[in-house]
Amino acid sequence: MGIDLELLQTIGPMLFRGLKVTMEIAVIGILLGFILGSLCGYALQGRNKIAKGIANLYVWIMRGTPIVVQALYVYFVVPEIIGLIKGERMVLDPTLAGILVITLNAGAFISQLVRGALDSVDIGQKEAGASLGLSKMQIMIHIIIPPAFRSIIPSLFNQFIISVKDTALLSMISVNEITRQTQNFVMRTYKTIPGYTVCAIFYLVLLSVLMIVQKLVEKKIASK
Amino acid sequence: MGNTMIKVNHLSKAFGDLEVLRDINMEVSEGEVVCIIGPSGSGKSTFLRCINQLETPTSGEVLYKGENICDSTADIRKFREEVGMVFQRFNLFPLKTVLGNVTMAPVLTKHRNKSEAKEIGMELLKKVGLENKAHVMPSTLSGGQQQRVAIARALAMEPAALLFDEPTSALDPELVGEVLNVMKDLAKEGMTMIVVTHEMAFARDVADRVIFMADGYVVEEGPAKQVMENPKEERTKTFLSRFLNQ
Repeated sequence: MGIDLELLQTIGPMLFRGLKVTMEIAVIGILLGFILGSLCGYALQGRNKIAKGIANLYVWIMRGTPIVVQALYVYFVVPEIIGLIKGERMVLDPTLAGILVITLNAGAFISQLVRGALDSVDIGQKEAGASLGLSKMQIMIHIIIPPAFRSIIPSLFNQFIISVKDTALLSMISVNEITRQTQNFVMRTYKTIPGYTVCAIFYLVLLSVLMIVQKLVEKKIASK
Repeated sequence: MGNTMIKVNHLSKAFGDLEVLRDINMEVSEGEVVCIIGPSGSGKSTFLRCINQLETPTSGEVLYKGENICDSTADIRKFREEVGMVFQRFNLFPLKTVLGNVTMAPVLTKHRNKSEAKEIGMELLKKVGLENKAHVMPSTLSGGQQQRVAIARALAMEPAALLFDEPTSALDPELVGEVLNVMKDLAKEGMTMIVVTHEMAFARDVADRVIFMADGYVVEEGPAKQVMENPKEERTKTFLSRFLNQ
């Protein structure tokens, strides 16, 4: 039951098909999550109490529930509820549900990063902008956001790596990402040990590449 | 001296129970240089910040060319475009080059095109002796150089007056001179200036008028020479004794 060429020829293409789905979900999820997280982070440090309340509620729910439960809820419960309201059966595409889960999950954590980053911009720079006659909006766009964005890039990348790993949990809702592909392979061939071993190594290589890119990005930011 | 430009009437400011400014009155004419001196915690900086509404006064008014800018209907941005400010800690924008710092506000608020703003920016950097630093980042400059950039940045708005909030207090002693020299040149050119400072020689030699503040009050004010060399009030004499005995 070793890892031979024949086994790799079978599982290899499956893992790469899974990789495509994993990366698609993680990349779209982190981008949408960044947009959602930015809006919520802005609301969290702003003065609008209603927006702040909604953002807090959202972050609370996301932090207080396991991502697996969130995935099950989005995939099974949400279509059911919409079905009851609309009166017709509805099925959510698993990949779409996966993107939604990663977006919601990453968004909650990113909102905390954004809130902290916006708060941490030196008040002196805001005052300098104000004293030059800039509007609140111009101060936000030209003075607060650039250093705030820069300061969260390393953490954003970290969240992206977490999101890539989180996609494995989407195998629970039949998303054909790397882990699900491996499960399919093992179920078909009963080659449990080599199947999951190759899967683990595959993730390790993928995450290592991402970690190396992360280090390069951090170095680039620090050197500026 | 020209017409009255800035007039402060009965201005008070409290932070909670702490009264920082009590019934301050002041008038500054076009082309006048006014220095505000006094011990730390006397309210000098707060007073300056109240003038351009970085702090909201608790009561009183600030008139600019006759218009009360403390009024909620007043256009504070317009006022700030015309009355610039230089801060103790420079407050340059760290991600912009020196020239970028100088050109940003005119491009955004006066809708000047970029090449024109750059041309004027280079002119101003030359004026403060830093044209060779135009394309470096502010963090590579010394404190004195950063403060001169901050002055150029304020000048880029073509202000009618400038407020200086202890512009040399955060500088190493050997860097104070280069900043004061730029300020002296501005004074000579007729720029209206209100300067909160601990530089007594500058107050005596450059200011037209000196205001001495303590505990939130204006204790004494008058022509610079008179206040600095022959103060009337005991409190002023005590404060200036070290300076006068030098």
